[in-house]
Order: sequence, then structure tokens, then C-alpha cells
Amino acid sequence: MDPQQLSEEQRKEMEEKIKNMSPEELLEFQKQQCIFCQIISGKIPSKKIYEDDKVLAILDINPAAKGHILLLPKEHYAIMPQIPEKEIGNMFVIAKRMSKLILKVLKVSGTNIFVANGLAAGQKAQHFMIHIIPRKEGDGILEAEGKLIDEEMRGKIKSLIEEKFNELLGVKKKVLQVEAESSDEDKEVEEPEETEKEGEERKEKKKPSKKGKKKINKKKVVKEKKEKKKKKVEEENDDDKDDGGDASLDDIANLFK
Amino acid sequence: MKCEHCDIIERRSKIEILYEDEEVVVAIKDLSITPGQITVFPKEHFTILEGVPENILEKCSLIANKIGIAVFESLGSQGTNIMIQNGLGAGQKVPHFAIEVVPRVENDGLNLTWEAKQLPEDEMETAFMTLEQGMKELDSSVENEDDGKEGSNKTKDKSDKKIAKEDDKDNYLLKSLKKIP
Repeated sequence: MDPQQLSEEQRKEMEEKIKNMSPEELLEFQKQQCIFCQIISGKIPSKKIYEDDKVLAILDINPAAKGHILLLPKEHYAIMPQIPEKEIGNMFVIAKRMSKLILKVLKVSGTNIFVANGLAAGQKAQHFMIHIIPRKEGDGILEAEGKLIDEEMRGKIKSLIEEKFNELLGVKKKVLQVEAESSDEDKEVEEPEETEKEGEERKEKKKPSKKGKKKINKKKVVKEKKEKKKKKVEEENDDDKDDGGDASLDDIANLFK
Repeated sequence: MKCEHCDIIERRSKIEILYEDEEVVVAIKDLSITPGQITVFPKEHFTILEGVPENILEKCSLIANKIGIAVFESLGSQGTNIMIQNGLGAGQKVPHFAIEVVPRVENDGLNLTWEAKQLPEDEMETAFMTLEQGMKELDSSVENEDDGKEGSNKTKDKSDKKIAKEDDKDNYLLKSLKKIP
């Protein structure tokens, strides 16, 4: 569906229609519009390299180089952050196999594994995919020069990203802190005979102990994480995605309409 | 052999390292395609993707995804590229496997793209048949060796239990593979 081909009126009508759709309807609508969903369902023929119940790998019909493979999740996702973690891990493992295959049989000197999330990143279709591109030196594919970034800039970037990233890693941390706080409240409710002033003093006294609790909780989280890792990072938290599901990401995903 | 990524792990510079655990490091390197580019790599030294054990690769990809989300939300990016440069011909600069997360905004001038080609049908067909045949061979070898591990000897002492199943693998395939470049 190319918006440029629609008249102003049709476009508005379409936008209105989309706006009134439930999320399920919207997903269904996107699937109908998605050429890769039709490839997956077999309505459009393709050259299949690999297929299982979760993913499909096909040859790109307009490749960057001979043997350019597209690895698609069978489920319709627009961008990577929408995909359940387990599937992301699995897709990269299969991308590795595809890369190995290319290196082995096409006699090239490298491969690029490439994902574009969002129009600004050069994403052309609304279906998430991993490109596995055979490479030879000087072929002009994905060429980008590095430049030096000074320490000050890197420091800024770090401070901007760090907090959000830690939040994403430690979903449990938040939950535990809420629990700790609510238990504090409970205590206060249990002792209503205190005057306000006393209550305030109490609160002040509590502060350090609360901090202590948080620290312990963090340690707990780390411990729990380690245990989890040993269990082989099993779908650490599917709801994690929902937790971070916010407007900005959805906007990027929906830009394709 | 000097390895820039192993150096980063050794230096433990607070500016460079954004995150680290027992297996994975996330770093902000001085040489980047664009400011805000983040590099995710395994602690252990694996040269190319084909050598990275599955559990480590999965973990790296999940962390790269989370970095991508964090970048969306905290740097005001409109998109991200997740990229692995695998092998010299693919522009790999450091001989230590890494996933790059590149934040993007519209008209940022980055040329992270390619010219889409229209190959003649017979050329597409040959490529397809070659890959299909190769896939069958790969499948049959996978059955008795799962996935070859480039540093499987190194891995053995460190994480014996974790990947005991994947160890003891004949990595003949990979040896021959590494000769190609």
C-alpha cells in the first residue's frame, strides 16, 4: 500500500479506519498488506533455503550480492524490539548457520548480518528480517567509515543510555523495590497511634534501612540472574517487552502504514 | 595477536564499558560509524561468528536488542541498525566477534545500504542450487556434530558443564572455513 498513490481523501479515510482498529485488527491488516507474510504462507513463490516452524530463510530477489539470504520470523513483527526474546536468540543462531553455509559454499571472504529497525535505518519492508549478505572486499556493500568519538561525547552517551539499559536488564529489580516500599507502608498502617511528627521521624529513620534493603534486593537480583543464566537464559521475561512497550517504539513500528 | 576488544576488557575503563557480566561486554568504542554506536561482544575471544557457541550468541543478540531499545528511548533515535561484520571481506576491523548497534535518524548521511541488484534468472538459480545443496551437507554434518566450535578447546576448561554437550566437536569444518579468507 503506497500512500502516495492514494488521493488525499482516500488517505484520510484509510487513516481513520486504521485509527479505529483494535490492536488485533491492526495486526491482521498489516499481515494482509505484508508481502513477506504472503511469501511465508506460500501465496507468493520464493526460493527457500531453510524452513522450520518459526522461521523461513529465502533468497532475496533483489540481492546486494549473489546468495543474499533473508531470514524471516513466520510471525509478523515490524521491528526487533517486538519479538519475544527466545525467538531473537533462535534467529541469530540460525543466521549463524546461514552465514556458515554462505562462507562454505560461495567462496566469499565474509558475511554481513544486518538488521534495519525503522525507516530511518533503511528498513524497506514492514516485516522484520535478518539479512545475511555474502561479502567480498571492495563490493561497495554497507561501507561506513569509522570516526573518532571523543571521551566527553562517549561519557554523555553512556550516561544517557546506561540507566535505560539497566532498567531493561533488571525488570525484577523494579518489582522488588515496589514490594519493599509497600511493606513499609504496611507497617505504618499497622501503627496508627503515632502522631504525625513521630511518623515523620520514623520515616527519616527508615530511609537508610530502606536503602539497605534496596542494595540487598539488587544483590538478590544479580544472584537470581546468575542462576537464570545457568539455566541457559530461558525466556528470561517475555513480559519484559510489554513492560518497556512504549509509544516511541510503537510509533517507529507503525511508520510503515 | 593484539585484540582491541580483549584490550577493552583488560583496561576496564569506566568510559568505555557500559555493561559487563561473566560472558558479555557492552562498550562504547572511540572509533564509531556514528556517535552512539554501541558494541556488544563476548568476553571470550572468538574471531568470527561461526566460532561463537550458541548460548553466547543468543545472549549477545538479546543484549544487543536491549541496547537497541535503550538507544531508541534515550538517544532519540528513529531507528537502529544491528550489524555483524563477519570476516575481513565484510569490513571486520577487530578480530573478535561483535554485534554493532548503530542508532539512526533520518538523513544522518550514513551510507549503511547497498545497491539492490537484478540478477539474471539462471544466476539466481545457480546460487539457489549451490546453497540448497550446501544446506543438505551442513544438515547431515550437523546431525553428528551439532555446531562446530572454533575455540572449543579454550571453552572446555572454563565452561565445561554449560556446553559439555556442544564440546568434543570435530571442528574440521571451521578449520577449513577459516582458510578461505
